Amino acid sequence: MASLVVARFLAPAANRTLRHIINKRSIARIHNYARTLQISLPDQTQRRLYSEKKVFERNKPHCNVGTIGHVDHGKTTLTAALTKVLADQKLAKLRGYADIDNAPEEKARGITINVAHIEYQTEKRHYGHTDCPGHADYIKNMITGAAQMDGAIMVVAATDGVMPQTREHLLLAKQIGVKHLVVFINKVDAADKEMVELVEMEIRELLNEMGFDGDNVPIITGSALCALEGKDPEIGKDAILKLLDAIDNYIPTPERELDKPFLLPIEHVYSIPGRGTVVTGFNKVIKSTVTGVEMFHQILDEAQAGDQLGALVRSVKREEIKRGMVMAKPGTVKSYDNIETQVYVLNKEEGGRSKPFTSYIQLQMFCRTWDTAVQVIVVDKEMVMPGEDSKLILKMVKPMVLEQGQRFTLRDGMQTLGTGVVTKVLPPLNDEERELVTAGKKAREKKLAKMNQ
Amino acid sequence: MIIVRNLSRYFHTTATTMAVEKTALASLRKKTGYTFANCKKALEIHNNDLTKAEGWLREQAQALGWSKATKLEGRQTTQGLIGVTFDNNNGVIVEVNCETDFVARNKEFQEMVQEATEVCMHYARNNPKSTKNIMKIGLDGNQLKSLKTEDGTTLADKLALMIGNVGENATLKRAVCLKVNNGIYLEGYAHPSGNTKGNVHLGRLGGLVALKSLDNSHSEENLQEIGKGLCQHIVGMAPKQIGKITDEPSENKEEELSLIHQEYLLDDSLKIKDVLEENKVEVIDFQRFECGEIHNTVGDQPLELVETCQ
Repeated sequence: MASLVVARFLAPAANRTLRHIINKRSIARIHNYARTLQISLPDQTQRRLYSEKKVFERNKPHCNVGTIGHVDHGKTTLTAALTKVLADQKLAKLRGYADIDNAPEEKARGITINVAHIEYQTEKRHYGHTDCPGHADYIKNMITGAAQMDGAIMVVAATDGVMPQTREHLLLAKQIGVKHLVVFINKVDAADKEMVELVEMEIRELLNEMGFDGDNVPIITGSALCALEGKDPEIGKDAILKLLDAIDNYIPTPERELDKPFLLPIEHVYSIPGRGTVVTGFNKVIKSTVTGVEMFHQILDEAQAGDQLGALVRSVKREEIKRGMVMAKPGTVKSYDNIETQVYVLNKEEGGRSKPFTSYIQLQMFCRTWDTAVQVIVVDKEMVMPGEDSKLILKMVKPMVLEQGQRFTLRDGMQTLGTGVVTKVLPPLNDEERELVTAGKKAREKKLAKMNQ
Repeated sequence: MIIVRNLSRYFHTTATTMAVEKTALASLRKKTGYTFANCKKALEIHNNDLTKAEGWLREQAQALGWSKATKLEGRQTTQGLIGVTFDNNNGVIVEVNCETDFVARNKEFQEMVQEATEVCMHYARNNPKSTKNIMKIGLDGNQLKSLKTEDGTTLADKLALMIGNVGENATLKRAVCLKVNNGIYLEGYAHPSGNTKGNVHLGRLGGLVALKSLDNSHSEENLQEIGKGLCQHIVGMAPKQIGKITDEPSENKEEELSLIHQEYLLDDSLKIKDVLEENKVEVIDFQRFECGEIHNTVGDQPLELVETCQ
C-alpha cells in the first residue's frame, strides 16, 4: 500500500523540475483538463474537444490506394465514379470531376505536391485515395509519407490498350513500393469483347515482364463514365462494385505499428532519487528492466504506440543515457551507419537552398530525437538540383538506430535542405571507409587514388 | 494461364471465324503497336487481310497522328526534355515538351528529342560559316517544325507520329545553334547526367559553353575537362550573363547572376573568374535551357476538342 502511495503521488511530484514548478499554474491547468476529460469520457474514448472538426471514427481498417495511368484513360472519371457509387450507399461523399482533376497544391513538410486526396469507405475498409499528375509528385508523396500507397489501381482504356508510357507507370509503382495492383479496363462501352480480352492479355504480359504477379492480378472491365452517369449498370455501377471488391480482397491491409515490437526514442532523462532514472521520449547497448510507465505524470497500465511516454528503468545511471538513444525490446533494433535513401531536395521557394550540391557534401541528418553528421554520395547523376528528388547514399559519422522506411530531414547549417526516407540499409562501414567520411577533400582524393591503384 | 488461353484460341473449332479475327487483331496490334481501336478499324476495312491492314495502318499513321495532334493541341505541356549535342564547330540545344514526366521518361519520346537535336545539328552544319568567331542562331517552334529530317519528312510530321503513339500533346519549343570558328572550343552538359543517346545528351536541364584558350597551351582533354566543369556550373547555377571583371559583384552571393562572380559549383572556395584565370581560358558565350521555364501561352481549348471519356 505504501509503495502504491509513493508511486501514485510522490513520484510525479518528484518528477517536477524547477521549470515545472515555476510554471505551476499551467501544470495545474493541464492536470485539471485531463481529469475533467477522464470523468466525462471514461476509458479509451478521450476525444480532442478543442476542435470543432468531425471526429474520425476508427472502426474499420484503413488502407491507402492511388490511381495510375495515362492522362486520357479516365483516372479522374474512375475516381469520381468510385465516390458516386459509394455515395449512393452513404459510404462516401460525391466528388465531382473538377474536385479531383485539378490536383490542388498541397504543402506537406514544406514541400509543394500536386495531389488530390479523396476519402471513401466500403463495408470492409476505409480508404484514402491519391491521384497525382506526375511521376515527381508521387515520389514526393512517398518521401513525405503524405499518403503512402499500399496499393494501386491501374487504369487502361480498352480502346487504346497499353500505352508506351504504361511501362513508366509500372516502374513508378515499383519505385514507391507498391506491391499490389488492381487493374481497371475502362471505356469498354467503346470497345468490343475481343478487344477487351486482348487488352487484358496484354496487361498481364506487361505486368509479368515488369515483375508483378501478372497472372493473378485482378482485372476488372467496365466503364467509369457509365457508372458516373448511372447508365448500363452491368458495365457501370456493377463493375465499380466489382473493382471495390477486388481492392478489398487483393490489396492487403497494411500492418500497423501497433503489432510491432515497441521502440521509444529518448528525449529527456530525469533522475528521481530512490526511484531510478526516468527516460522519456544507442551505440551502447544497455539492458535494463522497465519498472513503470507513465504519461503526463500519470501512471499507465499499458503504453500504446504514439503515447508521449515516461518510463522508469532499473539499474541504469543517468549519465549512461543520452537524448537520441532509443529504448526498445532487446534484439529488435540495430544501428547502422551506411544507408540508401530517396530524398526530395527543397527548392528555394520551399525554404531550401538555391544551389545544387554534389557528392561528398557534409550535412546534418535529423531523425527521431537524434542527429548526426553524414557524408552524401549522389548516385545516378553528378549533382542534385533544388526541387529534385534523388537517390542518395548517406554515410554517417557514427552508427544510429534506424530502420527501413524511416523518415528524416537533412540540414545544412541553418537551412533545411531536404527530407527523405530510408529505402535500404547497406553493409556497415569498415574503418577505412569511416575515415573517408570525415576526411577533407585533399586527403580523400589521395586515399581514393591509393585505393584505386 | 495466358499461354493456355492463347493456345485455346488456335485450337478453337466452333467459332473459327472469331478465332481468326482475334489472332489477326492481336498480331496486328503486336506488330504495329497502334491502338486497338485503329487496328480493328484497319482489319474491318480490309476484310481481315493482315498485310493490307498493316500497310494501311502504316500509311494512315501519319494522318492519324496529325488528327490526334490537332485534337490535343492547346493542352499545356510543361514537362519534357532538353537535347544537347556538339562537335568541333557546331553545338545545338533543343527543348521538346510533353504533358507528363512519365512520357518524358519514355523511350519513344526520348528518341524524338534525339532526332530533333540531330536534325538541328544537321541544320547548323549546313549553315555557312560566319566571319565572326561565334554565331548564334535561335529557332522557334514553327521554324523547328519545318526542318527536314533525313527521310524527307518534317520534324512536325515526326512529332505528330509520336503524339499519335503516346496520346499526349507535345511541342517543339525552341532551339539554339552555336557555330564557332577554329580555336574556340565547345562543350555541352545535360542534367540529370547519364542519359545519352548517340551523341545527344538528354536531361531536364542543358547547357552549351564556348571557350577560348588564352595561350593555346591546352590539350584537347584539358579543355574538355575545364569545359565540362564550367558547363555543369552553368546548368546548376543558372547565370544570366558572363559579366565583366569590372562589375561590382552582387552583395548576396546566392543572387549573383554574373557567371564570373559566382562561386564555382565544384569547389566553392573559388570564383569562376579564378578558375578561368588559373586555367588561362575565356568564356566567349553560353546557353542554358531549363525545361518548362517558358510557359506555354495556352489558348482556350475549344469545348468539342476536350476529351474526357469516350
